[in-house]
Amino acid sequence: MSEWVDLNVGPHHPSTHGVLRLKVKLDGEIVREVEPVIGYLHRNAEKLCENTFFCDNLIYFDRMDYVGAPGMEVGYLEAAEKLLGIFPPERAVWIRTIMAELSRIASHLIWLAAFGLELGMLTPFFYCFDLREKIMTMFVEASGSRLLTNYCSIGGVYQDFNEKVIAEIEEFLRVSPKKIEEINSLFIKNDIFISRNKGIGVLDKETAIEYGVTGHMLRASGVEYDVRKAEPYLAYSQLNFEIPTSTKGDNLARYIVRVEEIRQSVKIISQAVKKLPEGPFFNPKAKKSMMIRLRGDGEVYARTESSKGEFGVYIVGDGGVKPYRVRVRSPSLRNLSVMRELGKNVMIADLVSILGTTDLVFGEIDR
Amino acid sequence: MVEFQPGEERGKDGRRIIKVRKENLFETLKRLKSEGYIHLSLITGVDRKDYLEVVYHLHSLEKNEYISVKTVTYNGVVPSVTPLWKSADWEEREEYDLMGIKFEGHPNLKRLFLPENWVGHPLRKDYDLKNVQYINVDEDGEDYATFDQGDGW
Repeated sequence: MSEWVDLNVGPHHPSTHGVLRLKVKLDGEIVREVEPVIGYLHRNAEKLCENTFFCDNLIYFDRMDYVGAPGMEVGYLEAAEKLLGIFPPERAVWIRTIMAELSRIASHLIWLAAFGLELGMLTPFFYCFDLREKIMTMFVEASGSRLLTNYCSIGGVYQDFNEKVIAEIEEFLRVSPKKIEEINSLFIKNDIFISRNKGIGVLDKETAIEYGVTGHMLRASGVEYDVRKAEPYLAYSQLNFEIPTSTKGDNLARYIVRVEEIRQSVKIISQAVKKLPEGPFFNPKAKKSMMIRLRGDGEVYARTESSKGEFGVYIVGDGGVKPYRVRVRSPSLRNLSVMRELGKNVMIADLVSILGTTDLVFGEIDR
Repeated sequence: MVEFQPGEERGKDGRRIIKVRKENLFETLKRLKSEGYIHLSLITGVDRKDYLEVVYHLHSLEKNEYISVKTVTYNGVVPSVTPLWKSADWEEREEYDLMGIKFEGHPNLKRLFLPENWVGHPLRKDYDLKNVQYINVDEDGEDYATFDQGDGW
């Protein structure tokens, strides 16, 4: 009978994407049990939101999934605007759709870069960041900030898309399909990459649903569930795109689903830029002097598809200028919790690659 | 104090909200799960000062329909739904940690985010934000909290 060795992976480990600690029980090189320990980045954004005006809460949402901040803003506003009864004009809706999709690509690219590094591939990292840089320059042009954009606001967006942003987006749409294929070929044509991911970390459909897994992990396990289709928000009902799925459920399937999602996002942006209507970008009911007087009553639960999965925001208002209760459904938290199943009886090197495909951002998990 | 009435109503966004008593909560959720609401999206606790409200958001992948189930508790105890959904494990631990709801029958009801010996539950309305808390580790590796009234948050 062999004895199991206790090993701590993290909290400061390059492959844990931040501050995750894994309590691992090792039998030789085989992992028998994994218990994730989280909370190192906890700052209780939900409580902070209760003490701030509706319009100011956006900054806490920016800091949740900080690699794709506009996607988080959209998630909060989807709930907050329903509660306050202030809706953005048509142009702002389309601008938000474009920003949400750009942030999805930015987030997926940073995941792809980090995933390559975890498996010892340095080259794709530079290719991904080269492409991501183009999106970052668009964010700077549109909002004035690279990472934490704070671009959308209640009743519209902070400022209109100028011609330079549109030109940059069109340039991005022209070059990106070729670059994405280039990056994809770096992974998919690499024998070591295939052998390290094919058949590793298989997540079956029932376990995925039991654990509340959403996003690319659920779709790679054969469930066609995407909030953009299931409950269309923003302008998604008027756009033509597909939901990539796979029935394999392993690491490679998750990778393929994600790369296909980038392609679909490019497709969505190219349609949205063409359909972008003229008109105001801001609802006059929510002008700056009115912002701190907005009152919300009742309760709303809104879901959006962030780059990680189903991102839900539940807001309860008591008729005051501040929310009574804000609750956030973090998709990464559920995707991480399934590690307890996936991490059983795998090699320790595979544990890193399985963790890589779940795509964790700790700003969102710990909140 | 408002008397809690079981029944059904529509939310602000048109969703169905089913209100049940705490005693019938587990049975209701079990029935809904067998009806196809297999995706547990979120468990939320809301501190209403006199009582705690617990809201379950469920989604049916087949029918593509969303519903909420709501219950109230006056003593902060509700039955755990971990036998129905495994995802409830961490969600209930999170709600216990931040809101202080005790889930009866949970196999491992420990704090999820905060250190083990943290005092109080931050999302409660009576939590004192002015009393700054620091967590220290003693020689045996156990956490203990110290307080600083100071200027506060």
